[in-house]
Amino acid sequence: MVDVNDYNNEYENKWCPGCGNFGVIAAMKDALVKQAIAPHQILLISGIGQAAKLPHFMKCNMFQTLHGRALPIATGARMANHDLNIIVNSGDGDCYGEGGNHFLSAVRRNVDITLLVHNNKVYGLTKGQASPTSDMGMVTKIQRHGVISEPFAPLSVALSLGAGFVARGFAGDTEHLSYLIVEAMAHRGFSLIDILQPCVSFNKVNTYAWYKKRVYKLEETGYRPDDFEEALRLARQWGDRIPIGIVYREEKPTFEDKIPGLKEGPIISRRYDASKVKQLFT
Amino acid sequence: MSIDITVKIGGEAGQGIQTVGDLLALVCRKAGLYIMAINDYESRIRGGHSFFQIRIADRPVTAPHHKTDLLVALSRRTIDLHEKELAEGGLIMTDQAEDGEKENLVSIPINDLAVEAGGKITANTVAAGVCLSLLGAPFNLYREVLSEHFSKKSDKVIQDNIKAAELGYKAVEKRVFHRAFHWDFGQPKGMLMDGAKAVAYGALAADCRVAAFYPMSPATGIMAELIARSDVFPIVVEQAEDEIAAVNMIVGASFAGARAMTSTSGGGFCLMTEGLGLAAMSETPIVIVNAQRPGPATGLPTRSSQSDLLFVIRASQDEFPRFVFAPGTVAEAYESMLRAFDLSERYQVPAIVLTDHYMHTSVWLNDTELTVPDVVERHIADKPADDPDNYNRFAVSTSGISPRIIPCTGEALIVSTGNEHREDGHISEAIDDRIAMVDKRNAKMKAMTAEMAPPEALFGDAGTLLVGWGSAGGAIREAVELLRDEGYDAGALLFADIWPFPADAVENRLKQCKRFLMVEMNSTAQLGSLIREQTGLAHSGTILKYDGRPIYPVEISDGFKRIME
Ligand SMILES: Cc1ncc(C[n+]2csc(CCOP(=O)(O)OP(=O)(O)O)c2C)c(N)n1
Ligand code: SF4
Repeated sequence: MVDVNDYNNEYENKWCPGCGNFGVIAAMKDALVKQAIAPHQILLISGIGQAAKLPHFMKCNMFQTLHGRALPIATGARMANHDLNIIVNSGDGDCYGEGGNHFLSAVRRNVDITLLVHNNKVYGLTKGQASPTSDMGMVTKIQRHGVISEPFAPLSVALSLGAGFVARGFAGDTEHLSYLIVEAMAHRGFSLIDILQPCVSFNKVNTYAWYKKRVYKLEETGYRPDDFEEALRLARQWGDRIPIGIVYREEKPTFEDKIPGLKEGPIISRRYDASKVKQLFT
Repeated sequence: MSIDITVKIGGEAGQGIQTVGDLLALVCRKAGLYIMAINDYESRIRGGHSFFQIRIADRPVTAPHHKTDLLVALSRRTIDLHEKELAEGGLIMTDQAEDGEKENLVSIPINDLAVEAGGKITANTVAAGVCLSLLGAPFNLYREVLSEHFSKKSDKVIQDNIKAAELGYKAVEKRVFHRAFHWDFGQPKGMLMDGAKAVAYGALAADCRVAAFYPMSPATGIMAELIARSDVFPIVVEQAEDEIAAVNMIVGASFAGARAMTSTSGGGFCLMTEGLGLAAMSETPIVIVNAQRPGPATGLPTRSSQSDLLFVIRASQDEFPRFVFAPGTVAEAYESMLRAFDLSERYQVPAIVLTDHYMHTSVWLNDTELTVPDVVERHIADKPADDPDNYNRFAVSTSGISPRIIPCTGEALIVSTGNEHREDGHISEAIDDRIAMVDKRNAKMKAMTAEMAPPEALFGDAGTLLVGWGSAGGAIREAVELLRDEGYDAGALLFADIWPFPADAVENRLKQCKRFLMVEMNSTAQLGSLIREQTGLAHSGTILKYDGRPIYPVEISDGFKRIME
């Protein structure tokens, strides 16, 4: 039996009290326990930022890497061993800004990993600059006259690149988020959960209360996430009403399925054969 | 009489001059001869001017020769550009001139003969046939090579090519070329190899399992070799979205337990430097091949250089141990890959193999036996399984090496990060942790330095030593021969192991000579600077070439004489 306490460690948590990341980590632990996955059976990979610190606050295998680079690291890890169960924790700046090209490519490859983007619509760790997902007009100490670029739309971008699992979660609804994580991990192929995550220190617009007034659960509307056009519409819905839940789901061959060399199992489990090398010289 | 003949085939990109060269090389190999061939081309797919230059000899040759005995001109421009390189009595074979234009000109209607043989596509076979006939090669030898070379094609293709060969031979039947010789040198002396192949084979012999790259000349050839063999070997190769992804993919793959490599050239290496730092900080072994080309930014994409030495030694911020190898021959390139993989795992540090365009695209007949390990030792700890709760990925030790495990293979948990960290892998900003981790990483340097081979000495007790590294070694070797034949007291020191710098051995060697001169393919003598930094010894002259073209032995011997006067 895996217990939620198995996932607790003694490392000091460094988030601000009330940060939305607490909801994310609670949902993750809950989802892992529900799937009876023990800490040594999971690998968390993250980049840099407040979100990317999450793996340190959980007892498990982890590799916190570079700003923006968690996805190629995870892709490489899966190339080596596609039996690994990998969750990537990333921030909106980390994933959609610094790592934008990797995000596009990971979706297109359909690497079988679960990507959780803690989207607080701001750069938390570097103290409140605008992020790629900040809404137009949002004022920060750097963007003194408000953000002047269109926000990056992760769900629509992922959908248009052929993503097979696209969901939006809310850090203020742990139970629902846990359900999404379980579904995402069960999905064969790349799965994205963009998580609306309040940043109590730097985002004074998109607060818990702001979200609570607006979010509604797709599961409660009878929506079935297999209609691509409808998914695109929902992905763009923002403002007074914001959908959370599974926006789109479609299983397709994964990156790993499509590599002939991986048919016989993880590449690290294959045998070295000196005679094959010798044959190169004949 | 010793055989040393240079054939140069010039034409436009897309004309297949490389095929002519390949056929000549195969016939020479079969005849028991040695060859060394260079490929010169522009960064374009069609048109322009390119050439393939093959040196044929009855003993090992390590560099190209500056004179051409037989110039095969498939374009008018080839004659204009290269006529002046003709050796005394040299011939030009061309389809570009009217008959009898000049005495040293053999005019052959190559395309017409090809059409007669079965199609224009056999023109290269005709051209090679003309060359071989002029050089006195037995026709049977050529026929056998053609049958082998086209063995996977249809009978018609083979027959057409043999016909083309015959027509080529016949066309110069009556011509006497004074460089013709008797082709009888016994069994093949080894295998034809270019640097790209040597590096790729080395990686396979080292049991590399994952490779990721972003296309960039001249490094892509390595990946093409690996991909071509991925049905037989357990290896996955991925074309990444950029070099940043490529290096991080291999860090991820290595972290997950696979030997992993990437290859690139300078510009791509620039993008990889942060990932290099991550490998260092997380003590994840990786191998990066940097195939140098000249110029900052995009530079000269299809030319060669040795100008990244100081860059790769220092690349990425802060300080950390790494290995840097700069092989000088194809055999060394192969062995460097074996060592790079092994040492990077043994010490849990990144390893960089510095090659260059010249090495990657030139072909040598390698007669050195290459190591094939029977087992590949992975340096992975098994102990943590006994006591998983007390496993620390970055446990401090006198050697600086901590037990490395593979995630999800047991109960022990691996915690790793690119941030500065504690022994257990969690982030720490504590003063003690920072100092302990820097010291731990640096502690590896002592044993790493002991792994480095001293530079190879040729006539090491000579008064004046030519000092170089990497692929310039071949030309330096021959320059020493030239100089000694002329009575100069010259020797050489050739570096293949660059970093950690084998300072003591170098100092001992250099202290014995009267003076040493740096021979490098860069404009500031980078190895010279490094030697001075590491040993306090200064060179007294330089022979530098940074035009992107290969260096010829005579350029070095001439430079030597200029300095000595
Ligand atoms: C190469 C590089 N550039 C910049 C930084 C500084 N940096 C650290 S985190 C961060 C942005 C974090 O924002 P986000 O990814 O949204 O995560 P959050 O902290 O909001 O969770 C930046 C710019 C860095 N660590 N590395
Ligand atoms: S700055 Fe924002 S995102 Fe970072 S810990 Fe504090 S509340 Fe959370």
